[in-house]
Amino acid sequence: MGSLYSALSISVGSLQAQQAGLETTTNNLANMNTPGYCRQRPLLQESNPVIEGRLAFGNGVTLSGIESLRDSLLNVQINGETQQQSKSQTFVDTMNQIQPLFPMDSAGIGDAIGGFFQSLDALAANPSDASLRETVLSAANGLASSFSQAAGQLNSTRSNLDLSVQQNVQQINQLTSEIASLNRTLAITASTGSDYGSFLDQRDALVQQLSGLTDVSVLQNGSSLTLTTRQGTALVVDGQSFGLTTSLDSNDGTQHVYAQAGDITAQISGGKLGGVLEARDQTVPSILSQLDDLASALVTNLNAAHQQGYDLNGQQGGDLFNPVTGPGAAGSMSVAFSDPNLLAASSDGTTGSNGNIANLTAVATQTLPNGMTPIQTYGNLVFQVGSSISNANAELTASNNVLQQLQQQQSSVSGVSLDEEASNLLLYERAYQAAARAISTVDQMLQTAINMGAQ
Amino acid sequence: MRLTSTESMILLNALNAADRSQQNALLQMTTGKRVNVASDDPSAAAVEVQTSDQTSGCDQFLRSISSVTSELQTADSALNSCVTTLQRAISLGIEGANGTLSQQDRDALASEVKGISDQVLGIANLSFNGHFLFAGTADSQQPYVLDPNAPGGVAYQGNDFTNQIEVEQGHTVAMNLPGSKLFSAAGANVFQALSDLSDALSSGTAIDTATESVRTAFDQLTSSRVFYGSTVSQLDSDQTFLQSEKLQLQQNSNDNVGVDMNVAATNLVNAENARNSALAAVAQAGNLSLLDYLSKT
Repeated sequence: MGSLYSALSISVGSLQAQQAGLETTTNNLANMNTPGYCRQRPLLQESNPVIEGRLAFGNGVTLSGIESLRDSLLNVQINGETQQQSKSQTFVDTMNQIQPLFPMDSAGIGDAIGGFFQSLDALAANPSDASLRETVLSAANGLASSFSQAAGQLNSTRSNLDLSVQQNVQQINQLTSEIASLNRTLAITASTGSDYGSFLDQRDALVQQLSGLTDVSVLQNGSSLTLTTRQGTALVVDGQSFGLTTSLDSNDGTQHVYAQAGDITAQISGGKLGGVLEARDQTVPSILSQLDDLASALVTNLNAAHQQGYDLNGQQGGDLFNPVTGPGAAGSMSVAFSDPNLLAASSDGTTGSNGNIANLTAVATQTLPNGMTPIQTYGNLVFQVGSSISNANAELTASNNVLQQLQQQQSSVSGVSLDEEASNLLLYERAYQAAARAISTVDQMLQTAINMGAQ
Repeated sequence: MRLTSTESMILLNALNAADRSQQNALLQMTTGKRVNVASDDPSAAAVEVQTSDQTSGCDQFLRSISSVTSELQTADSALNSCVTTLQRAISLGIEGANGTLSQQDRDALASEVKGISDQVLGIANLSFNGHFLFAGTADSQQPYVLDPNAPGGVAYQGNDFTNQIEVEQGHTVAMNLPGSKLFSAAGANVFQALSDLSDALSSGTAIDTATESVRTAFDQLTSSRVFYGSTVSQLDSDQTFLQSEKLQLQQNSNDNVGVDMNVAATNLVNAENARNSALAAVAQAGNLSLLDYLSKT
């Protein structure tokens, strides 16, 4: 049979349990805006009963632990989507810097190509006119500089991206070593059986940050996490992190990313680093090489046409542009002479002939090796730049929507609800009050019992 | 589903979306374009590159036409006055053939014919914008110079070439006639004919024959001159065509990348409404929770 003292100890146990409840509630409230925080709740359990004969007396409440509410599957999905979202965002941001180099109407390469051929058309009306010749020469310079400027900007974008590869790799290394150190901490706390919810929260937040930087697969292994890239290169194994390194590749002059296994540059497909690498190694070089092709085709064709004519001194025309071919053609495009008299407009050696201008302007409608005229080729470049951005934008919008959904779901599992915490606060307060009242009742009863002896 | 306070995230997303569409609508309204950068509509942008090139090409063709037209008109009106003076020479020849004239009268006629020859020489050496109109393509030097050994005492220094100019995509017109087709054509040399006429009038022999050769030269000049008039009228119709083509191109460009103002204005209003209602909803809902009620009790 129960005693007054056992009633007293049940009440004290209850006081402690309600206090723990109050503590988790206030902790939840305190962390309601902390990123990565998962709400906690006390795990209350009935104590083992006291058995006397055929009677089993309840023995109060026990706090068996504090539990963090998290959904690992949701975390995995959020990490995956973050990799996609962050990649698209980085790619769009980068390409948006390049897009102004390819305007569709005024200024830019297209305008310079049109302007050059139009200046030739104007010269045809009066081929010996000095100012018209000067205009053609300055339009030719404008054409060359529009190409070299665009190529220069593309190259400097590439080297900025290169720098960004190095910075991202440094951040990745920082994060993986923090995650490894949390793995070690968790291994210790897990072995002592103590609460490690807040360490898990920190580690989840770090993994999510890492997902923003590169593609990463997570393998849960007890309390420890193993992180690898999508292709299986180890980043973190238990308490050990494996840093990535960058070094200059002599073939393409860019920074390549190395793991222990070797060059993994081409394997990285997600996160900020994935977006940077896609722009640096695929999109920008492709635009640059098409620009080079266009520049060298224009230079070759215009030079060939120019050489068919005669300049104002009656001499056979030379090169109009300094010959350029292959990679770097656009960047180094320049006009071969500065004397407008050297423009070979004449087809018969007389100064008044404009016969060779037709040969030069014919280049505008002549198809290049890619099957398009120069202006169509430029239009196609505009299309490629535009569609790469609009495609990435569509992916970004989709990723953002999915991510928002997932975050709402995660918040529904792990987020702190003010209403819920308020009602819990009330519950624990009332239960605490009740236990306290029980104690004072037991106290009175004890007093009665003691006084009984005094009579 | 368990509900938590995610309204700040939802609000932020809603406001971002509304801001973006508001900015977009504003940009479209201020530029008048639906496609402002290639990524707005890549294929429309690629088409616009060509339309824009063709439009400025049209502008250049129109400028070429007006510059060539004024050159052709100058040449044509010079030749017109040349025709008038040659007519006078012919009537002088007819007058001189009249046997009743004295040597003195014929000498006077001969000297008038010489004067006409000088006038024609002046016209044949006419220059426009720093180049000679009737020198073929060798137009930097005077085409006709006095030379006692040349037929009619005037030698042609120009060549027989003509310049072509493109006035529409793929369509070129000749923009000059060399003097050798106008003044010094073989068998119809104006200077030779005038010099012969002047000599004939002085000597009083073969005036009819000399007058006839002036007429031949006159016919050659008149028939060749038609080139100028017909080219000018052709350029006129080219100009009309180019202007309508330019309008058409602008229309195409507008259809392709231009904005429908009604749509843009509606978008702007919608975006503003979305923004306002998102803000209003949050202001309404506030951050009410059970806690507010508990603290009051």
